[in-house]
Amino acid sequence: MDDLIVSMEHVYKSFPGVKALDDVHFELRSGEVMALLGENGAGKSTLVKILSGVYARDSGHMEIFGREQGDLTPKQAQELGVAIIHQELNMCRHLSVAENMFLGREKTRLGTLSNREMEAEASTILRDLKIDLDPRKVVGELPVSKQQMVEIAKALSTNARVLIMDEPTSSLTSREIEDLFRIIRELKNKGCGIVYISHRLEELQYIVDRVTIMRDGQFIASMNYQDTTMDEIISLMVGREIREQFPRVSCKKGKSVFEVKHLNAGHLVRDVGFQLHEGEIVGFAGLMGAGRTETTRAIFGVDPKTSGEINLDGRTVKIHKVADAIRAGIVLAPEDRKKDGLCTKLSIRHNIALPNLDTLCDKAGIVRRARETRMCEHAVNSLMIKTPSVDMDVATLSGGNQQKVVVAKWLARNSRVVMFDEPTRGIDVAAKVEIYHLMNKLKQQGIAVMFVSSEMSEIMGIADRIIVMCDGRITGEMTAAQATQEKILTLATRFDKKVATANE
Amino acid sequence: MQTKRLSPLRRFIAIRGMASAMIAFAALIVIYIVFGLREPNVFSTANILNLLRSMSKYLIIGIGQSYLLITGNIDLSLGSVVGMSAMISATLMTHGVNPLIAAFIALLCCLVIGLINGLLVGKAQLPPFIATLGTMFTARGIGYMINGNRNTDAIASGIGKEASDKFQNFFYYGKTMGLYNTFLVAVAVFIVFFFLLSKTRTGRHIYAIGSNVDAAKLSGVSVFATTTKAYMVSAFCAFVVGLILCAQAGMGNMEAGNMYEMYAVAAGVVGGISPLGGTGLLLGTFAGAAVWQTLENGLNMIGAQVGLQRIVIGVIVVFAVLLDVVVRRGSRKRIK
Ligand SMILES: Nc1ncnc2c1ncn2[C@@H]1O[C@H](COP(=O)(O)OP(=O)(O)OP(=O)(O)O)[C@@H](O)[C@H]1O
Ligand SMILES: [Mg+2]
Repeated sequence: MDDLIVSMEHVYKSFPGVKALDDVHFELRSGEVMALLGENGAGKSTLVKILSGVYARDSGHMEIFGREQGDLTPKQAQELGVAIIHQELNMCRHLSVAENMFLGREKTRLGTLSNREMEAEASTILRDLKIDLDPRKVVGELPVSKQQMVEIAKALSTNARVLIMDEPTSSLTSREIEDLFRIIRELKNKGCGIVYISHRLEELQYIVDRVTIMRDGQFIASMNYQDTTMDEIISLMVGREIREQFPRVSCKKGKSVFEVKHLNAGHLVRDVGFQLHEGEIVGFAGLMGAGRTETTRAIFGVDPKTSGEINLDGRTVKIHKVADAIRAGIVLAPEDRKKDGLCTKLSIRHNIALPNLDTLCDKAGIVRRARETRMCEHAVNSLMIKTPSVDMDVATLSGGNQQKVVVAKWLARNSRVVMFDEPTRGIDVAAKVEIYHLMNKLKQQGIAVMFVSSEMSEIMGIADRIIVMCDGRITGEMTAAQATQEKILTLATRFDKKVATANE
Repeated sequence: MQTKRLSPLRRFIAIRGMASAMIAFAALIVIYIVFGLREPNVFSTANILNLLRSMSKYLIIGIGQSYLLITGNIDLSLGSVVGMSAMISATLMTHGVNPLIAAFIALLCCLVIGLINGLLVGKAQLPPFIATLGTMFTARGIGYMINGNRNTDAIASGIGKEASDKFQNFFYYGKTMGLYNTFLVAVAVFIVFFFLLSKTRTGRHIYAIGSNVDAAKLSGVSVFATTTKAYMVSAFCAFVVGLILCAQAGMGNMEAGNMYEMYAVAAGVVGGISPLGGTGLLLGTFAGAAVWQTLENGLNMIGAQVGLQRIVIGVIVVFAVLLDVVVRRGSRKRIK
């Protein structure tokens, strides 16, 4: 069982202006799940991308199955038996599930694609994984969590013996996470080695055998999961102690700032109504697809509303388009950073400045560069965004740091209502705490904070009041003191009977 | 949950891009009938045969361009390569070179342009609009210079009347089984490239890189090879159309194929090939080329001015894309 299948030594890798990997060691044995942990930008993704042939290392040794390997291409790595599920979804939206799973290694007979065969095999794999999906379905039409499952199925279909998962759970529902863990245990018993990257540290206890910790591109430690504690892991990752994972500040609940009445938009926002008060953070809990994102989008004016009323400071505001919302002082830090949150071809500076150009420009419409620089640098420092300069392209940032830029965009201006949609997805512990601090600061300033999250622990740890949604409706509300996991889960799965059966 | 058997018709429409292609066919029928009502001659057998012959050129270049549109690229050099093919083969034939050999040499030259396009776009990662703009001018220039900046003489002057007739009949004037050979050539090209696109690995990769280059790359698809193949296909299509134009005129015309790259885009787009890449069926291109030709033919027959023809065609192209966008937006809503 205990044979070394991957061994990397003295690995270096630099990008312009960044030392992403600095003398890193990494070992993986067959039949073990190795958690690779570290803050955003620590170099985790870079390391596994070298292992899977996406990047070439600058120097260092890499042995896979006991054979020294030079620079690999993704295809060669795949042929060696190394499969990777990337942090960002990598699907061809226009192709079907089966076509995506077999992309780059299509089965052919006499030069002709054997679609039947591929669909049948895809279907078997999906069934093994208990994923209820038609392999002929077009991927772009699936919800994100299903796309992620397809990504996982794709990696498994290669019969890999080294399987790398870079934050596989960040967009899965809790049911799917359980399925994934079951799959991971099965693979482990079959002798596969699994590299597991995640910022959801509470997941580790269910699957992980060993942990490797990185910080600032360097190897810090490697040990058995049994022999360590969560506090030790966190302090090794961050390089210092984090006193509170969920810092809570209490302030007096003030008057109602923001009120939504009878909001309807599409079939995932049905008769939604709630109030946000000064001095409180309102958490929105629920399962993936409960309609929370859709609610924020409808309020923000991205998606059309069919009916409903929005009041701000006692006055009704009409929001037909995003500009109306921003002008009124309502902002949204959206969930899907690649699609909605960032212009990935622009620099950090331009991304942060974009929604704030009204305050950054002088009367003639010319951007005041010094003011812009000040704003961006302040944002980068206060959120600890890891980058050599604000003029770097956001695409070069690590996933978590990109997420911070999304949040930073909206905090640079004065607003009355800030909606955060999954603001901590893919963010490391330390940065999460920074974001919580930020929300607390907004709360103390009397700004209404709406906090959508699928992570139960942070909702219960940070929000003062929790609203639970299911299937487009608000199914319940409670104060933080009353909240328990069970209560939230019951409300989050309270489907209308009719709808539930119609969907079967 | 979805694995229930759908009815054959539903399954047919569910094929990706089929809905757009069928809309184009429906539009074709409507347009055809509207013209037919105004001018009954539109329905005559002779006119139908003519229509099929003249749409063939648009169909073939439309196929070439569709390959690139699906990869999310474009080939602006297409029309110039048509001209180059016509000029090179005609010039050689006026010098007495056997038509087969002349065509073969022209083919090689066209494929070189395709290869260069592939290198520039797939390897050097130039924006396809710019790279092929460059080869567009270059190929046209070569076409000019081949015969010293003038059109060629009749090809019969070099290879003789008999061989010339044979060549011209094969590509343009002759009929087989009651259909003009041109149309049969186009159908042959269509079948080959339809097969390549829908049934082979290369075809699958073409859709994949148009849909998401990064995902394709990380799945081990060679973006360079795939892009180059697409440009080679379009160069090959341009080559065939060049021969057809050469056969039609019986000589090489320096301006042959002028603007064809744009007609090709129009044929593809009208047929539901997304100019953003990733979707579209060659069946749509077929309908698109037919719509295009029917419009031109019909407007001619009812005596509309050239200016009006252009305007109608311009409006139709934009309308087709608009329709596509609306349909797609509609279907996305339903999914949510
Ligand atoms: N293509 C690239 N170009 C330039 N810099 C890069 C590139 N990819 C990564 N980097 C930099 O390398 C460093 C390590 O990034 P990496 O993505 O490996 O971090 P990570 O540990 O995966 O973080 P996260 O948890 O946020 O995903 C970061 O500072 C990042 O900005
Ligand atoms: Mg990463």
